[in-house]
Amino acid sequence: MSPEGVEQPRRAKLELLVRGDDDESFEVRQIGSAAAFIQSRPQRVPDAAFELAEVASRIGPQPRFILKNTRTERFLLLSEPEKFLWEQMDGRRSLQEIATAHVLRYGEFDFDIIPGLMRKLQRAQLLTLTPGSRLRQALARNRRRQMVKMVETALFGLERINLSSRNVQPFFRRLYRWGGFLLFSRVTAVACVLLAIAGLVAGVRLWREADEVVKGFGAHPFWAIVTVKLLFWATIAAHQIVHGLALVHYRRRVREFGFTFLHGLVPTFYVDVTDIFMGGRKARVVTAVSGALVHLVLGSIWFLVALRSPLGSFTQAFAAASGMIQWQAFALALYPFCFIEMDGYHVLVDVLGVPTLKQDALAYAGACLRGAAPRRFTREEALWVGYVLLSTASIGAFIAFNVWLVLRAAS
Amino acid sequence: MPSAADTRAFLGGARLFRGIAPPELDALGGSLRERGLRKGQVLFREGDPGEELFLVQRGTIVISKGVTGRVEQVLARIGPGDFFGEMALFDRAPRSATVQAESDVTLLVLDRAALARLTEQSPRAAAAFFEALVRVFIERLRASGDLVAEVTRWGLEATGLDIESS
Repeated sequence: MSPEGVEQPRRAKLELLVRGDDDESFEVRQIGSAAAFIQSRPQRVPDAAFELAEVASRIGPQPRFILKNTRTERFLLLSEPEKFLWEQMDGRRSLQEIATAHVLRYGEFDFDIIPGLMRKLQRAQLLTLTPGSRLRQALARNRRRQMVKMVETALFGLERINLSSRNVQPFFRRLYRWGGFLLFSRVTAVACVLLAIAGLVAGVRLWREADEVVKGFGAHPFWAIVTVKLLFWATIAAHQIVHGLALVHYRRRVREFGFTFLHGLVPTFYVDVTDIFMGGRKARVVTAVSGALVHLVLGSIWFLVALRSPLGSFTQAFAAASGMIQWQAFALALYPFCFIEMDGYHVLVDVLGVPTLKQDALAYAGACLRGAAPRRFTREEALWVGYVLLSTASIGAFIAFNVWLVLRAAS
Repeated sequence: MPSAADTRAFLGGARLFRGIAPPELDALGGSLRERGLRKGQVLFREGDPGEELFLVQRGTIVISKGVTGRVEQVLARIGPGDFFGEMALFDRAPRSATVQAESDVTLLVLDRAALARLTEQSPRAAAAFFEALVRVFIERLRASGDLVAEVTRWGLEATGLDIESS
């Protein structure tokens, strides 16, 4: 009974059967919604999706904060304790832990503050209650196991590594003035095409002698290829810098440049090019394509180096493998059908005028698998089906090609 | 091994057979098979083929449906006098849920052939059986609706999602 004597509605319960390791043992657990609620781990949107600014008050002593969802342009006014709670909502801490932190910080706790804040945040699309990726969901489900918890902690740690700066516009402007502008000239475009043709010719000639070329790796082909791949990651920085130069070329602003671990796993450089969406389609397409051309140019140069190197030497094998991986990166970056939103995908959706192509296509494919897809088949549905089929086939082919390449090198 | 009189007394008390006269109940009792399960034993799993109805004579079984990994949602518990598995008796579709003994269990098994015999030899008894079956179906349909509502409410409460004002 509540203090007012009004009976509160019963909280819902789920009865779940949890199987043991053997075939017959099981345990039935009743999980109340309240228990699930306090164990949930709310996660605010990524840092790039919101801005937080303090509002100095001339009347009250308590500071206020404006929280802006940069994607939906929605604003929320937060009190200082709400801002504190918001900062705790990182997807790692449960509501129980967040409430405890609040008590330790302020010495008191209002039981309505968290649900109230969460409702506000959910309405402003600033909060999710589940970890983002499938991997993270699986880890979250098995968090009780020590090993899983360690992996999850490691991923969170890596994800938090973010070396970035938001004051990079002057750097990119200087880089553009000191020669970056040359990249966007007709002469460079022609040189790029000629280099690509020369690289293609060199690549074809190397391919004919592939067996001899890979022998140059000697006794450790696997580790040599791993080194090639690591060296390749360094060139991702050049890819992103060219994107940034394209922004300057079209008089737009580079908002951020940095290094992070994507999803806590993939080390990568990134540049915030969102300002280009205020430019025209040509600007957007050039910005998208120019970064990928870095790999075409580097790959061509590597192929030419490999062709000039002595047959069967380590230099030749290393250069040929580097050329191959650069050209793969070029193709992958511009190829839109691979479920990854890379440069080519952005060009495609821009041209088609379907900004949520991947999300819509995956949702439709899921509905088809569940037998819940609508019966009529329009052009839009054909586009989604085509996207999913092409992407699936492409990824399969890409993996098969790389496996074949490594096996061939190893043998 | 229970005697025929014990079986008749048990069947007479089971709501599925309440409307059936003693002589016909004796005949039906003769065509039922007995089956025992030890605690924890799985009778059948979701997706298995099946065409039998089971009547619980002793013990409790738990009916569950897979949710994720090793976790299943408990749909119902069935105790003495109650029955389960009736859907497969009619639609020949794979089992829709997993059934496992929560304690040592004794079951009586009614298969399609026994039901056909009952329908052929005693249409009045068969009509009483089907009427009782429909009543239980309705009861279970209502219970399913309640379960869906409960699960939905659970989800809303567990996530703190405020639908009314969003």
